[in-house]
Parts: sequence; structure tokens; C-alpha cells
Amino acid sequence: MNTEQNQVPQDMEKLKEIPKWTRRYAQNRTLTNLVHLIIVLLIFMGIAVSSLLVGIAFTTGHMIFFWICIVALFAILICLFIISIPKFGGVKIWRWIDKRIYGYEGTISIPEPELMKKKKWVGQVVGLVFGLCVISSVFLGGKYNTLIKYMQPVSALYVVPFLVFLYFWQRPKIGPIALVWPVLYTIHAILIVAGVPILFTGNLTGLNMLLPTFGYGFLTFTIGHFYSRYALKKLKGITHLEGDAANGV
Amino acid sequence: MEFDKVIHEPARLRIMMILAGIEQADFNFLLTTLNLTRGNLSRHVEKLESAGYLKVKKSFNGKVPNTSYQLTQKGSKALEQYWENLDAVRQSGQS
Repeated sequence: MNTEQNQVPQDMEKLKEIPKWTRRYAQNRTLTNLVHLIIVLLIFMGIAVSSLLVGIAFTTGHMIFFWICIVALFAILICLFIISIPKFGGVKIWRWIDKRIYGYEGTISIPEPELMKKKKWVGQVVGLVFGLCVISSVFLGGKYNTLIKYMQPVSALYVVPFLVFLYFWQRPKIGPIALVWPVLYTIHAILIVAGVPILFTGNLTGLNMLLPTFGYGFLTFTIGHFYSRYALKKLKGITHLEGDAANGV
Repeated sequence: MEFDKVIHEPARLRIMMILAGIEQADFNFLLTTLNLTRGNLSRHVEKLESAGYLKVKKSFNGKVPNTSYQLTQKGSKALEQYWENLDAVRQSGQS
């Protein structure tokens, strides 16, 4: 073997960073999650609006409008089931969005953790418990109006563990930036309990839940997206080949 | 000390290092990340595949064919060995 072939790459330490930046980029391709979250938010808004219209149509006696709203509400609920449950097409929709957003950059994947592969039922049970907690708190919030004020801090008792679980359950498929969401959610709950005036009142009461749930989700995914851009830039800075190196085989 | 000729080539070393950090990546991702032409990238991955370092998965995204690459166990070991050799050469050069 000649000297040239035995030459040690000058950028050895940088080259060793390639797996790290590739992984960080892959972990933070969060635009798909962001779009998914917007769709879920639109569905919830659709449910709220159509429910409101059902009530108005019923009390005013417009029965044709009432049934149109019922059908619309039913259709929106079907959409929610389709997008939320992987087996009903949730995964297919997610992949479709992902391909549209990241198709030009190519497909890249991180292995699923062994525990996630072997014990899928754990994720399903946690999801079910989380769903029950959401339904219970909505029910209690509706029944006892006084609870609305503390709805977010109470919800933090199950939302935060759920989000933390999701991170540890899916790691290394997702990066630690995912923890920004539960951290902000916790801080928000602590501030409310401490009496800091960040509560929305009157017609804006709904924002007390919407802001920490969707707002911090948007923020987390946006941070993730910008970090993925940074990681890709770092990665390309190391991997881009110029001149002979790019053409030689 | 001799280096693995297949891995020592800059483009192939980078392909191997990219795949070392993840489960799999497709042709398009490697193309945009490495700034290579399609022909060159094809030839590099063919060499790695024939050495048994890469596993190729061909599938379809709708009607569009998609080729993904995954590092094999042999590839992982060869890459690890390559860096050990390189570190040894560097250390011997420093001492």
C-alpha cells in the first residue's frame, strides 16, 4: 500500500462527528409533527364550532340545520379517530405529510428502541390511561366550573408524565428537545398555582388549556425544526466533498 | 499499518459514517448530504455493497422507486477497525 492510500484524513475529529450530527438532524425533523398538531387543533376547533352550532340550531328549532351540524360533527369525529389511531390510517397520513415536507431532502430513519418493539402493549396502555385522564378532566371541568381555573395545573399531573414517558419510550427516535414541552407545561402549572396572573377569563377561558397544550407543542416542534436545520448545516459542512474527492471512485 | 481501501476513500468513509449514526438513509439523502453526482454515489454504494458493508433495500414510494441503505454488522465492525487503525497511526506519529 502506498503512502497516499495510508494518508490520515486531516479532518479526522470532524469526520467522527458525522454520526452525531446525522442522528441529531434525524431526531429533530419535527415539521411533520407541527403540521400534524395543526391538523389536530383544527379538528378540535371543528368539534367545538359544530357542537356550538348543534346547540344553537336545536334551541332555535332549525331542525335541518341541526341535522347538518350533527353529520358534520360526526364526520369530524371520524377524522379525529383516523388521524389519532395508527391502525386507522394515522401512520399513513403521518408518512404522507412527512414525504411532502422532507421528500426533497431524502428519507432517513433511526431504529425503534428494542423495548418499544417488544412491548407495544405498554405504549397502548399508557395511551389509554392518558385518554381516560383527558376525558375525566373534561367531564369534571364541565361539571364543576370552579375546577376550570385549576384545569391546567391538574392536567399537568397526567400530561407531564405522559410527555416525559413518550420521550423515554421513543428515545433515541426523538431527541431531548422534546422535553421542552413538559418543562414549559410544568412551569405554566406552577405559575398558576403560585397565583401569577396568567389565567384567561371570560370568553378566553379555553386558552388556559389551548395555550399550554398546543402553544408549547408548537414551540417545541419549532425549536426542534430550527435545530434540525442547524444539525444539517453542520453535517453538510463536514460531508460535502469538493473537486477530486467528490469525483474520485 | 494498512487501512481498509474500501472505506479509506473520502466519499465512502462519509457514507459509512452517515449510516453509522442511524438505521437507514435513502439515496436522495446521501446525494444531498454528500454533494456527489448520481453516478458517483451509485458507484460508491455499489463498492460498499459488494464489500458486504451495506445492505440495500429497494421499495416503492407510491409509484416512485426508492433505494435505502443500511450498514451491515460487517460494515460496522470494519468501520470501527478503520478508526482504531487510524487512531493508532496518528498516535504513533505523535510519539
